[in-house]
Amino acid sequence: MSNQKKRNFQIEAFKHRVVVDPKYADKTWKILEHAIHEIYNHNASGLSFEELYRNAYNMVLHKFGEKLYSGLVSTMTSHLKEISKSIEAAQGDSFLEELNRKWNDHNKALQMIRDILMYMDRTYIPSTHKTPVHELGLNLWRDNIIHSSKIQTRLLNTLLELVHRERTGEVIDRGLMRNIIKMLMDLGSLVYQEDFEKPFLEVSAEFYKVESQEFIECCDCGEYLKKAEKRLNEEIERVTHYLDAKSEVKITNVVEKEMIANHMLSLVHMENSGLVNMLLDDKYEDLGRMYNLFRRVPNGLLTIREVMTSHLRETGKQLVTDPERLKDPVEFVQRLLDEKDKYDSIISLAFSNDKTFQNALNSSFEYFINLNARSPEFISLFVDDKLRKGLKGVSEEDVEVILDKVMMLFRYLQEKDVFEKYYKQHLAKRLLSGKTVSDDAERSLIVKLKTECGYQFTSKLEGMFTDMKTSQDTMQGFYASHPELGDGPTLVVQVLTTGSWPTQPNVTCNLPAEMSALCEKFRSYYLGTHTGRRLSWQTNMGTADVKATFGKGQKHELNVSTFQMCVLMLFNNADRLSYKEIEQATEIPASDLKRCLQSMACVKGKNVLRKEPMSKDIGEEDAFFVNDKFTSKFYKVKIGTVVAQKESEPEKQETRQRVEEDRKPQIEAAIVRIMKSRRVLDHNNIIAEVTKQLQSRFLANPTEIKKRIESLIERDFLERDTIDRKLYRYLA
Amino acid sequence: MKIPKDRIRFNVGGRIFETTSTTLANAGRNSFFGALFDDNWALKQSINDSNPNSEFYIDRNPDCFGVLLDLLRTGDLHIPSHVPERLLHREASFYGLLNHVRSAKWGSFDGNRLHHSRSVTGRAPGDGTAIRAGPDGGCCVAHGSMVHVYDWMMEEHPPINLDYQRVNDVAWLDSENVILSACERLGRGDGGMGLFSKSTGELRYKFQVCHENQLKSYTAGALSTSSDYRIFSSCKGRSNEYGIGVWDQISGKQIDFFYESPGWSLGDADKLQWLNGSNCLLVATLFPRKDNCYISMLDFREKRMVWSWSDIDAPITVDEKRVRDAIAMEDCNAVCVVNEYEDLGFIDLRMSGGSVRWSSRSRLMKGKMPDEPCYPKLALHEGLLFSSMDDCISVFCGPDWVLTSRFRQLYGGSICDFSIGGDRLFALHSEENVFDIWETPPPPIL
Repeated sequence: MSNQKKRNFQIEAFKHRVVVDPKYADKTWKILEHAIHEIYNHNASGLSFEELYRNAYNMVLHKFGEKLYSGLVSTMTSHLKEISKSIEAAQGDSFLEELNRKWNDHNKALQMIRDILMYMDRTYIPSTHKTPVHELGLNLWRDNIIHSSKIQTRLLNTLLELVHRERTGEVIDRGLMRNIIKMLMDLGSLVYQEDFEKPFLEVSAEFYKVESQEFIECCDCGEYLKKAEKRLNEEIERVTHYLDAKSEVKITNVVEKEMIANHMLSLVHMENSGLVNMLLDDKYEDLGRMYNLFRRVPNGLLTIREVMTSHLRETGKQLVTDPERLKDPVEFVQRLLDEKDKYDSIISLAFSNDKTFQNALNSSFEYFINLNARSPEFISLFVDDKLRKGLKGVSEEDVEVILDKVMMLFRYLQEKDVFEKYYKQHLAKRLLSGKTVSDDAERSLIVKLKTECGYQFTSKLEGMFTDMKTSQDTMQGFYASHPELGDGPTLVVQVLTTGSWPTQPNVTCNLPAEMSALCEKFRSYYLGTHTGRRLSWQTNMGTADVKATFGKGQKHELNVSTFQMCVLMLFNNADRLSYKEIEQATEIPASDLKRCLQSMACVKGKNVLRKEPMSKDIGEEDAFFVNDKFTSKFYKVKIGTVVAQKESEPEKQETRQRVEEDRKPQIEAAIVRIMKSRRVLDHNNIIAEVTKQLQSRFLANPTEIKKRIESLIERDFLERDTIDRKLYRYLA
Repeated sequence: MKIPKDRIRFNVGGRIFETTSTTLANAGRNSFFGALFDDNWALKQSINDSNPNSEFYIDRNPDCFGVLLDLLRTGDLHIPSHVPERLLHREASFYGLLNHVRSAKWGSFDGNRLHHSRSVTGRAPGDGTAIRAGPDGGCCVAHGSMVHVYDWMMEEHPPINLDYQRVNDVAWLDSENVILSACERLGRGDGGMGLFSKSTGELRYKFQVCHENQLKSYTAGALSTSSDYRIFSSCKGRSNEYGIGVWDQISGKQIDFFYESPGWSLGDADKLQWLNGSNCLLVATLFPRKDNCYISMLDFREKRMVWSWSDIDAPITVDEKRVRDAIAMEDCNAVCVVNEYEDLGFIDLRMSGGSVRWSSRSRLMKGKMPDEPCYPKLALHEGLLFSSMDDCISVFCGPDWVLTSRFRQLYGGSICDFSIGGDRLFALHSEENVFDIWETPPPPIL
């Protein structure tokens, strides 16, 4: 038994548990707790950092991390509760200042506490997934101060009140404002958004709703926009001064919605000051402001553009259809150009050269210019006018500018071939009468037309220039080979290639003997150098300079047309000639003869002939005499033929008809081109493709296209599909 | 010459050290020394006032302080033989200088300059399954149903397990969190995938698979993560849930499931690899888990398999080469594969259905197989290709993948897995449960 007793020893644990003084943790925590108190009481200078750091380290090392952490939470919480009370107690304006001061204190304290507890922050907190010290301090501040029932609403109201005061013109302490807002942001974006931004935006919306209503009732559009712009800039400035940069979009959206989007239509259509008035009065500044503000809201620019377009179309339509305006083509085109200039400068000065606005402008012009079928003619006449006389004394650059503008109008034309027709006629007249002022300007315009419409469009026009040049050389050659002709009358012949020039009715007349002899010599010279050609005389297009001596010996040189020359020459051998006699002798067609006699007998100042009886019109029974009493200040007298500058109604019909005739082969060619590549195509697609192909020259009429198709079917270029009648087949 | 104004005296455990605040500034704001100074690295007023013109006392080990002070002075870590490494780490942790020690301890990774740093002996029974390098130099080793976790100091943390089920794969989510995939136990709902804390070993989240709105138990296989915070795992469930599951790293919720199509294996995959450039996932199911090898690229945006390769119809060669590991190399538009003889092969990623172009140059092992071979493994790191075979790891470089380095540690038998991360390479041996750590030495002085 004694043995047993001996063996009755106690088995000791293999390893002694290290017993730390149970009060150790409490003692250490007391030291740290005291330090935290001292820090909050601004007494930190008496503390030893090393000692505190070491104590915190030891607590974590000896597994008292939890005690340290929870102690920190409760100590900090109790301090914050005290702070909260002192902030609540602050009166009136000092509330924000007190809050700001305490916030700064708390931040400093937090930094020191975090330094002391750094070891816990680095090791204990990550492994236990607790909130790090700094973040904890912010969260506790948020829960105990910002979200305390007595502070939360007061803070919000104070902030909103300050913003309101600033909006109504008072000066507020922006620095303080910035600090407080910064605090809310530091506490997390959610705190900033929920506790300030959201209510701020709501209050702002309400404010601007009321204000915009006031403005719209008492301001005109320009003034309203000025105020809206000012408000917008104020809000943006406010954001840069004391709000989160992310709020800028939100608050500007509020202002845009309340002040612009909600009143967009009433602003644009405002009586006497809306968009149309701004456009009429060229209010660039207001327009620019409207553009910049409306750009910020959905459909804003669309609204401006639509109003501008409809206004432009309306005024344009009036412009081109007003019968008064149609009297003077030059004025008509000049007005179009002025209108274009006006809107160009509005778009460049106010609408920042917005492409969509430029497109709207172009489409509007295209719309109303083509409302008037005579637009192509008028534009050509405008060019004619400019190239005849309008460009004298204008620098080369300015000429280019004018031509560019004309080209721009030309681009709007749908019936470019009609323009071509007229342009050709006008150019022919200019060239033949030697009226063109600047060869360079003429050529420059042709180059422009060429780049716009291609080689085909201008090849004939260029042919006309070539003819003029060749004729000059021919004339030199003619006189060089006939030196004996020096004394007689001088003949200048322009040989025009058929086809290049506008076709004219071939009107012949009996030339005076001297002239017809000369003409015969030229004909034989020309046909001698160029075989296989035919010359016919276009006497209706020529001019002549005739020297004349009147009754009292006054000498003049008369610049007349070929027809007039023929008539005048008759008076070399007679004093009195009746209409019938003149007609018989010259064989000039009646209408032309009447016009030529009218211009010599009935125009004051140019009346080289005297008519009996005296009247405005030429009758078949009239008799004519040389007007011995003819006087003129000038030695050279130009006797114009009475010609309608604008086309007369039948002439217009004729031109129209010719254009239509010319279109037929072009349409047919297009159809054949398309069908050749496609082989089979249905009706609608052919129409669409043909229209597209010919767009650069004219707008093809679908019925005409249909007629051309039928004609091509008759001529076995195409056939209809036997099953689907809408399909056409190309027959090679 | 004047005495520098920023001079400061420390009394550490009775020994006097003198240094300057500019030297201490190298410690950074978030350290013991950082707390002593204000934003301009001048001694804080409160500290200066309390003890003017005298030394600042710290109750710590002076030897370690000296080592750490030199670390701050030079950026180099030199530990004298009489200072235990663990003690130094302890002291560094006090001062908040552990990260300084870690980054001075070894250089940035260079596959051709690796030196054996140390070998750590495990204590698990049976063969190792996988070793995974963590982002900060730690690693975890899976053996059977346990995973042992080590930090960069090779301190072992509590091991982790998921219901003690067989572990298939491990992956680091970040330096603090590890995911583990395990087999399912019949009828118990165990296994699957879990998220664990590295430092405490506690299970923090269990990932779930839903099929037709019902929770299913499943076996999780290979794991991969993507830079857009997704987790991928090959899954095998009770009924139809074969395929690749996708979870969100933040919420932990299952966000997608790519079901495998008949005749094509995904749920059994051995290896998943997320490809950043093409936003696709490489899924490789390899022999001998299945009779055939399947490699696929999945595009989850289009829910489509955008590339695939299989050896189903390939003629069986005399030496019966089978693909044992695969890795996608996005830069070369190829998938690199390896067979049991460590032959490297390449498959073109630009077209589906291409064949393997075996590279004859790498046939170095031909004919001398070790007694107990481990299947070779591949890894790609910063343009270098690594391949393990027997007890060697080979490094291949350049556009033609020439062999540039080869290193081996004799103890422990064949290498069954290796992993690169945190500027370290870890190689796990099949015998003795030992793993080696390979590091690049710190950069030369000049």
